[in-house]
Amino acid sequence: MQPKLKSRVRCTDREIGEVSKVVVDPLSHEISHIVVSMNGSGERQVAMGHVQAVAEDLVELRAPSSDIVALPPFKRDDFVTTHEVEISHLEDNLHVMPGEVLVPLPALEKDVKRRTFFMNFTNAIGFLIGLLMAFPILRYLMKPMYLPFDNAWLKVGNVGKIKQEDIGVQFEYKKKIKEAYMPEYEVMKNIWIVKATPALLEKVYKGKDIEFRDASGNALWTNKKEIPYVAFSGKCPHLGCGYKWRRHKTLGQVFLCPCHLSIFDASGKVLDGPAPRPLDALPMRMSADGEVEIIDMEFKAGTKSQVRII
Amino acid sequence: MEQPSVPNAQPTAAERFIAFLDARVGLKEMQAKMLNEPVPGGSRWAYVFGSILLFLFLMQAVTGILLMFYYVPTADHAYASTQYIIHEVDYGWFLLSYHFWGSSAMAVCVVAHMSQVFLWGAYKPPRELLWVVGLALFGIVIGFGFTGYLLPWDQRAYWATTVGVEILDKTPVLGDFMARFLKGGPTPGQLTLSRFFVIHVMILPAALMVLAGLHLFLFRVASPAGPFKGTPDEIKAKTDYFFPRQIWKDIVGMAVVFASICGLTFWEPVVLLEEATPDPGDYHPEPEWYFLFYFQLLRFKMFSGEFGQLLGAVALPVAFMVLLVALPFFDKDPERNIFKRPVALISWIVVMVIMALFTVSAVINREFLD
Repeated sequence: MQPKLKSRVRCTDREIGEVSKVVVDPLSHEISHIVVSMNGSGERQVAMGHVQAVAEDLVELRAPSSDIVALPPFKRDDFVTTHEVEISHLEDNLHVMPGEVLVPLPALEKDVKRRTFFMNFTNAIGFLIGLLMAFPILRYLMKPMYLPFDNAWLKVGNVGKIKQEDIGVQFEYKKKIKEAYMPEYEVMKNIWIVKATPALLEKVYKGKDIEFRDASGNALWTNKKEIPYVAFSGKCPHLGCGYKWRRHKTLGQVFLCPCHLSIFDASGKVLDGPAPRPLDALPMRMSADGEVEIIDMEFKAGTKSQVRII
Repeated sequence: MEQPSVPNAQPTAAERFIAFLDARVGLKEMQAKMLNEPVPGGSRWAYVFGSILLFLFLMQAVTGILLMFYYVPTADHAYASTQYIIHEVDYGWFLLSYHFWGSSAMAVCVVAHMSQVFLWGAYKPPRELLWVVGLALFGIVIGFGFTGYLLPWDQRAYWATTVGVEILDKTPVLGDFMARFLKGGPTPGQLTLSRFFVIHVMILPAALMVLAGLHLFLFRVASPAGPFKGTPDEIKAKTDYFFPRQIWKDIVGMAVVFASICGLTFWEPVVLLEEATPDPGDYHPEPEWYFLFYFQLLRFKMFSGEFGQLLGAVALPVAFMVLLVALPFFDKDPERNIFKRPVALISWIVVMVIMALFTVSAVINREFLD
């Protein structure tokens, strides 16, 4: 049993006062001391070790009153109240109040039936509101996610600037973008065109023309295996960075992606690094004077097969 | 402390105002509760990182709100408005650079904070939820970094986002949907910028405030774990309250971090690259320095090909986070002394060394690219 506030305190010889405060150990959360108010002659802090027995309204000490009186006066400033300190669960196992403190329920709350029903009903209505909002919100945010493919031909430059075979040459071009509500604007993009020797062409085409189809599967364009120029999308098939034509210590002239160091030869084949597929050849057509047009396709990066996204 | 006894002293206006507030709000009790939190075993410098993170977040919020006075989140004006902040607005360069370096500081302090909790064994029961909420906050800090650096709309921004979203795209089944959802279309553009902006300035700050509040609440409910060695009596003998010694250490830590960020702001102010466009030109895409180790990791041969990418881009980070979340639920050994937990100590050292080595090798790799 724990000592209670207002309990009388009795020493071996006589009663000396009542419990005015209790002191709790911050670690064990147990009462470590009681503070005894000595009937008007000050307070003493008495360790629980001195307590012989605790009854309903009485704390019996195992020391004579002279010992208790001889203790130094209680120093209030060495303590804080439980309201002024943050020790969670401090009061959980304390019963120091002189009894339970009760507040009566309002009259209207006394015999309410179906409390659980009302609680569940409240939750159900809330859930329903959320549910009705969920689909419109999802659709609202999904509006621009999927766009039809753009199969327009874009001018990218003249192959006349390619002076050497089996070398990657970058062609930068501007693409007009009309996005949602934005005014039309231009972005810079690039592709790489290789003027291929027959051996390199064979590595690219492996004896077959490359066919391109639109979203519904209709033939869109065929890159003929006899045309000695190949256009590669400027986007690295690993994670979508822009790769470059560089000299490599051991592999010679290669396409090198500076991001994750994928390396491709002039035919687009992966020589080293993490790329999962060769460079993406684009549909390309050329006028008699060497002006090149492409369909600006982009494919998902990181997949073994080509998955077109625009 | 003895009250000075001045007979019939009239309270000053300020005292009356404070008494008025206190009677209605309970300020003094609240302040006492905030400050009188026992720190078992006494204050330590090792405990400063949580407070520093709170300070860093508040500074990011202040500088971020100020940046929004001039910044415009549109593809045709984001770059120009950021340049305007840097070059035209008085101290715009300072606030932008502070915000930039503040994010680096957050990354550093989050790792320091997590390391401290890990090494002290403070994640162990009964503090499991505190740890899990902390991990969610870690995710939010990463999200802030990732969404934040798209906003200037320069080449660094564009390419970091392109690659980052492609990594997300590698998630099985949902990846394509999530990547398009985040981009607002098949490729990065205006709608990507809008989305990242909303996430960066509304969703993540709200989430962070809620979770940081929950984190503090759980921390107070569970009480600080204290040192990992010492008997209860020794710990009790050294225990003090949050105020003043721990708060003093915290404020010194905050001042050091503030001074470091200011120093970096002066010596390395933010300089934009060219405006974002799908043509990288001569720029070698590279993420922010605190993501470099992961960037370097994805270069490895074992993470090549479709399956390798799934491994490196999705499985590895997810497994790492799942492991961290599960940690307090399987590591129930009450032993908290790090020198008696060899597996924990070695794992921590290995992770730190790998991160350091990969970061350094990513930096060394730069030279071979030009």
